[in-house]
Amino acid sequence: METYGKESLREAFGHALVDAGAKWDDLRVLDAGTSNSTYSQFFQRTYPERFYTPGINEPGMVGIATGIAMAGNRVVACDMSVFLHHAYAQIRAAARQGSDMHFIIAASHTGIAVGPDGGSAHDLTDLARMRLVPGFNVLTPWDGAHVRQIVNVILEEKGLYYVRLNRPKVPIFLKDPISFEIGKAYRLREGNRVTIIASGDKVYNALEAAEQLGDGFADVIGIATLEPLDTDTIIASAKRTGRVITYEDHLCVGGLFEAVAGVLALHHPTPMRRISLDRVFTTSGDPDELAELYGITTASLVKECQDFTKS
Amino acid sequence: MFKITHQELEEKAFSIRRDLIELIYRARSGHLDTSLSLVEIWLGLVYSDFFQYDPKNGAWEDRDRVFLSEGHACPLQYLINAELGYYSVNDVFTGFRKPKTPFQGHSIRDLKCGLENSNGSLSIGVWQAYGHSLETKRSVFCIAGDGEFQEPSSQALLSVPHYLKPAPNFTLILNDNHLAQDSEVDLGPIADVAKLYNWQVIQIDGHDLNALGEAYLQAYNEQDRPTFLVCRTIKGKGGDPENEGRLGHHGKPPQNDDEYRNYIAGLEAKGRV
Ligand SMILES: [Mg+2]
Repeated sequence: METYGKESLREAFGHALVDAGAKWDDLRVLDAGTSNSTYSQFFQRTYPERFYTPGINEPGMVGIATGIAMAGNRVVACDMSVFLHHAYAQIRAAARQGSDMHFIIAASHTGIAVGPDGGSAHDLTDLARMRLVPGFNVLTPWDGAHVRQIVNVILEEKGLYYVRLNRPKVPIFLKDPISFEIGKAYRLREGNRVTIIASGDKVYNALEAAEQLGDGFADVIGIATLEPLDTDTIIASAKRTGRVITYEDHLCVGGLFEAVAGVLALHHPTPMRRISLDRVFTTSGDPDELAELYGITTASLVKECQDFTKS
Repeated sequence: MFKITHQELEEKAFSIRRDLIELIYRARSGHLDTSLSLVEIWLGLVYSDFFQYDPKNGAWEDRDRVFLSEGHACPLQYLINAELGYYSVNDVFTGFRKPKTPFQGHSIRDLKCGLENSNGSLSIGVWQAYGHSLETKRSVFCIAGDGEFQEPSSQALLSVPHYLKPAPNFTLILNDNHLAQDSEVDLGPIADVAKLYNWQVIQIDGHDLNALGEAYLQAYNEQDRPTFLVCRTIKGKGGDPENEGRLGHHGKPPQNDDEYRNYIAGLEAKGRV
């Protein structure tokens, strides 16, 4: 598959914030002591007077961010994902203020892609947590180009947004990023044997797998908005292929798999499989090594598709 | 100091206490004792000369903000905003704790009704209010309970102006009634802690309107530091004297007509001043 270099989603986000800072004077960025990991420090260096950190204090950061958004500012609160557990009550309370504000939470270091820092640092339940908070749009960008595009859209339209980023450099594969619309799933490749529904940087691997499976085999749906989920696109593809596999760097609980399963169970019951992690705490290791260990590589997806379509 | 006379303020305090008792008894639920302890604190603030608001334009940019962090005191907030003209007191009586009204069991942010923040879980509103003060030129007052300051994140707020921004337009009002839901509260040296972190600390009787008026003015005029206004109050103040300052009445409305009459009798015995 053709790619255009590599960039981590967090780094792309950090650069996008700097660009956004020039466009929107009212933009304020916060971090809870991880600015050199989330790359919110790019914004901090460029606009020090528009950057706030209460230190290693996630509840405080989200509370302050909410208050600033309530004052009418565009606000982006950044953190390493797993630490946002500390701020869950504040996140819920932020959403309770209503969606008539510009409020964005950006979480870097999601999934096993975090690697050697180990299971304590792998946030594999963030999508589940954020899906549980009414009002939040839950966004899972695919590559660096996509991140930039999404940042522009969500700073334009008022609302509550959660943006799932991650740590490692991943391929940029969107040459001319498709026009991103909140709430829309994208059919990226056509096939009729199986539907692959992937989110985040796994969309690249899904396309890679589809290529290996050959022409006309896999229908690939890219999910950049997990909530609200584009049920029409999912149902239409399930009707075409009769088999659905979801693919994510997240536990099987509460993320893409269960979201899609819920939609299909209600509207078009379809045999399903999943590429995701069991409900476990994970281990340290190199990201590729871990992807192998937990069976979320391109190769595992190819194998699962072949096995699924045998019957 | 105030937009109306001291006597008029006392009369408002009396009638609002009567409405609180009436409202919560009729609804058969709501936090009466907490609301009663805050009557002078809230009236003294919104009737201070400097305090700006516009009931016809709740989102007015130049309004002074009142965040309610201990959200269970919202019955008082609803009645005071009626007094200020955001809506009628009848709206509160028909809507309180009913589906789809602005007068929920805990406040929901609704600027046209003068409701600055949604609340419920303790120790969150204090952070939102502080954050808000960083990005508005107007004053931000936040009412918090002493029980709420048992939450570690509330206590942490005292240190934040020191290492983030002093926010001189921020005033944290502590409803120090020494009672929480199931136990007494002793916050120990909390005022000293605030002093060490360079807050302007003012400690007063939270039922003394003159002391409140002066304290608010002092907070409003402060140029360098946030203000921590510790108001010693009595939970259930001005209701049934048997229940004043006593544990066991949190979120418990009068249970029957006799108990209701005891509240009204207690209020009337103190008179209209
Ligand atoms: Mg108390």
